[in-house]
Amino acid sequence: MTNFRMAELSRRDFLRFTAAGAALTSMSGWFDLMAAHAAGSGVKHKSCILLWMEGGPSQKDTFDMKPGTKDAGEFQAIPTSVPGIQISEHFPKLARHMHHAAILRSMSTPEGAHARAKYYMHSGYREGVGGLTYPSLGAIASAELGREDFPLPNFVSVGKGAYGAGFLGSRHQPLIVTDTNRGVANLAPLDDLQQFGKRLGLLEDLETQFAQAKKAAVVSDHQTTYQRAVTLMRSREARAFDLSQEPAASRAAYGGTKFGDGCLLARRLVEVGIPFVEVFQGGWDTHTNNFPRVKELSREVDPAMSALITDLKDRGLLDSTLVIWMGEFGRHPKITSAKGPAGRQHYPRAWTTILMGGGIKGGQVIGKTDREGLDIVERKISGPDFLATVCQVLGIDYTKQNQTPVGRPIRIVENGAQPVMELFA
Amino acid sequence: MVFPTKATGLSWTWTVLAGMVTFTPCGAALAGDASHKVAAGRLDAPTLTALIDQAIQARLSSEKVTPAPPADDAEFLRRAYLDITGVIPPADKVAAYLDSKQPDKRARLIDELLASPHYGRHMGDIWQELLLVQRDIFSRGLPAEPLADWFAQGFNSNKPWNQQVADLLTSTGTQQQNGATTLFLALRSRDKLTDTVCRAFLGIQLQCAQCHNHPFTTWKRTDYWGMAAFFAKVDDGAPAKLFKGLTPNVVEASTVRTKRLPDSALKSSPRFLGGQTPTLNSNDPYRPVLAQWLTSEQNPYFAKAMVNRVWAQFFGRGLVNPVDNLRDDNLPSHPELFDALARQFARSSFDVKYLVRAICSTQAYQRSSTATKESAEADVPYVSMTIKVMTPEQLFDSLATVLGPPEHPKKGGGKKAKAPSPVSRAGFVEFFRPGEGADQGAYPAGIPQVLQLMNSEWTAKISAFVNRTVRGDRSPARNNEILFLATLSRRPTAAESRRLEEYFQANSSNPTKAYSDIVWALVNSSEFTLNH
Repeated sequence: MTNFRMAELSRRDFLRFTAAGAALTSMSGWFDLMAAHAAGSGVKHKSCILLWMEGGPSQKDTFDMKPGTKDAGEFQAIPTSVPGIQISEHFPKLARHMHHAAILRSMSTPEGAHARAKYYMHSGYREGVGGLTYPSLGAIASAELGREDFPLPNFVSVGKGAYGAGFLGSRHQPLIVTDTNRGVANLAPLDDLQQFGKRLGLLEDLETQFAQAKKAAVVSDHQTTYQRAVTLMRSREARAFDLSQEPAASRAAYGGTKFGDGCLLARRLVEVGIPFVEVFQGGWDTHTNNFPRVKELSREVDPAMSALITDLKDRGLLDSTLVIWMGEFGRHPKITSAKGPAGRQHYPRAWTTILMGGGIKGGQVIGKTDREGLDIVERKISGPDFLATVCQVLGIDYTKQNQTPVGRPIRIVENGAQPVMELFA
Repeated sequence: MVFPTKATGLSWTWTVLAGMVTFTPCGAALAGDASHKVAAGRLDAPTLTALIDQAIQARLSSEKVTPAPPADDAEFLRRAYLDITGVIPPADKVAAYLDSKQPDKRARLIDELLASPHYGRHMGDIWQELLLVQRDIFSRGLPAEPLADWFAQGFNSNKPWNQQVADLLTSTGTQQQNGATTLFLALRSRDKLTDTVCRAFLGIQLQCAQCHNHPFTTWKRTDYWGMAAFFAKVDDGAPAKLFKGLTPNVVEASTVRTKRLPDSALKSSPRFLGGQTPTLNSNDPYRPVLAQWLTSEQNPYFAKAMVNRVWAQFFGRGLVNPVDNLRDDNLPSHPELFDALARQFARSSFDVKYLVRAICSTQAYQRSSTATKESAEADVPYVSMTIKVMTPEQLFDSLATVLGPPEHPKKGGGKKAKAPSPVSRAGFVEFFRPGEGADQGAYPAGIPQVLQLMNSEWTAKISAFVNRTVRGDRSPARNNEILFLATLSRRPTAAESRRLEEYFQANSSNPTKAYSDIVWALVNSSEFTLNH
């Protein structure tokens, strides 16, 4: 017979649940075990921030400029901190950080339709192949880099739902933060902590009997998820989700936009040890109005990404944090005006991604496209090559095989992928 | 009696099945027993039930495993309600059922549940989820309810399954006119349609063969694109219409459409899987020809695929597992039984309620999910009932049965700025939807879902539920019993009762809060959220 436990919390008036920060006396021993672990022990693994540019950004108007050529577009190319490397004039701040960057101009992938291409670039596998749902990069990072007992989820997606864990299972699904101002939904109990603690005690008692009777994995999974949720509620690390803790100047430096706030949140999450954060920016699918829209988006990315790199550097985190800038494909080197104001169609044949930080050899361009940007003339990089490279930077063995629920072994990255070794010293 | 009453294990099963294989149309071998109503090669539900139990027992015996004991009434009641109607029993039904002394109350319950409109809705939810998995991004704004409603009508009227599928595949019109066209409005390319139709109705994973010959089966690219060609004349209206909130009209055009083909596409005329080419004139409609072939009694996959799905719906695993992967190297756990069920389903004119009734009446279905030492160790299917996870629809409907539906958030929030909860059924389902390919046995919820269940505005409605359910003039013990009946569909054990009384007494200064705590724990428990 279980002994009845009285609520023993001192009565404090908390304005914000996580602002308390002090360890709380638990009403239930079971949840105590989770709380007992040390908060934020040393971050030993690398982290990754994926800046996901949805729609497919135009490389010819951003990072693979072709001044003086046909359809070069409306933007000027400007010099950067690296002699010989030029980028769009609408990234003036980022231009000063190019010595931390590797610009991969020879991406070449097979998918030209959004949904399929997004899936491919997130997972490295073609949608539907083998009837499986492949895990996205974030879920892989969560599985390979995340700590089992970490109070926070190891994969966070900011701004929009991301591709999930597929066959890796629910543990590695992303925590989605749709609105950075609100943070994680439902993190605080409706009533006070005392009430919540009492309820947990009751819940634990009910669970114990049922678990003993049924002895099924699904029951213990349920309990584990509840334990993790409660641990998250009580963790100091959960404060990382609260952007109001940042000084106003800091938020302004990131540009004060939704995307800027997302990048700022990503930095905070990486600071407390989350291995993978994906930040969404939509609008890059510029079939029409290419130039005004790309300009606007670039001017959003510029301060956000620069502030991110600067902040990471200042905190000594740049070498251990890989920042990826990419979309699902690029855009056509030829401008079309068929459907209205000048636009560019999808173009997966030759496009550009950017890697920064993470300990890579920065200040270089990998690969080359021809004069107009129609084809790759040097060093083609496939989707799996790219993902293998990212894994290599993060310290993930890209040849490792995971088991699907039916026991089928699937490599993290497809066989034959070659990481871009030029990035490693 | 036509069949022996004592099961003699394997040999009896073989006799029955062999008898069915060589069955003569007028039932000569079984003549003389009108009560079994065997006619024209078809077994009635009770006979089918016995057949299932025999086959399952045969394997358990041969592996020397004792099955778990029968589920008690409470276990069976909740399970049957969830599996057949998709929702827990309402509180008033629970006590009445548990206390009923009718000897055939389980059979009556099954009949009652099959006759309920919730049966159709539950099946509609299942099939809408199944079919729209691959919906493309353009269709995100397209509601799925019309398809679920369309299916609900078909299942409630027990329209034969072959007829339902044929009607679905050949549907035309706007979504308002015909909810079935949702399929074509959501899956707007012939490769997605081919993947979905083969997976859902034939249990075949054909999608590998889209780009190359299938690595593990004999399906080739030509097979894939031959099947895909049957959808070549579907005209689903321009995507722009969906964006603008207009209603596209699905028609079978007179000529082949050539847009929206992936790079992997092969030019092909329609060809059935297995190589036969239908005789088609260039202006014949294609889809009716596909529908006829697909839903035919002669099609070896069609009946099997549905039998396997329905079986999995109730048992938590298919006779072939994974459910939508009928392959030569993925054998059923009980091959002869599987064949027999498929045959009987086809002969019954694809009568789904017949199949469900037969399954739910088995001892195997009515086995407890409580582990015995033996069942925990044995790895033999159906030794005990598998614990299933509630679908998001089941969870929403069950919570709503207890708490009432969630309210939309008030404008200009209170002192706590809470994130907007997914308050509509569709929003809740979207939020709780498990990842693709997740199986029913794995707990799918992540931290955000659990936070929602613990702390969302909806849980604030617990006190309203408490206020209309408990009574001050009743003892706490009696009130707690009612709370248990309303949530876990059973009475508390003596130990649980004592624990709750202690809790209540310690918190009796605020009875509503005390009872609310109890209800909060009940609806957040695994016993509530799992289908056991």
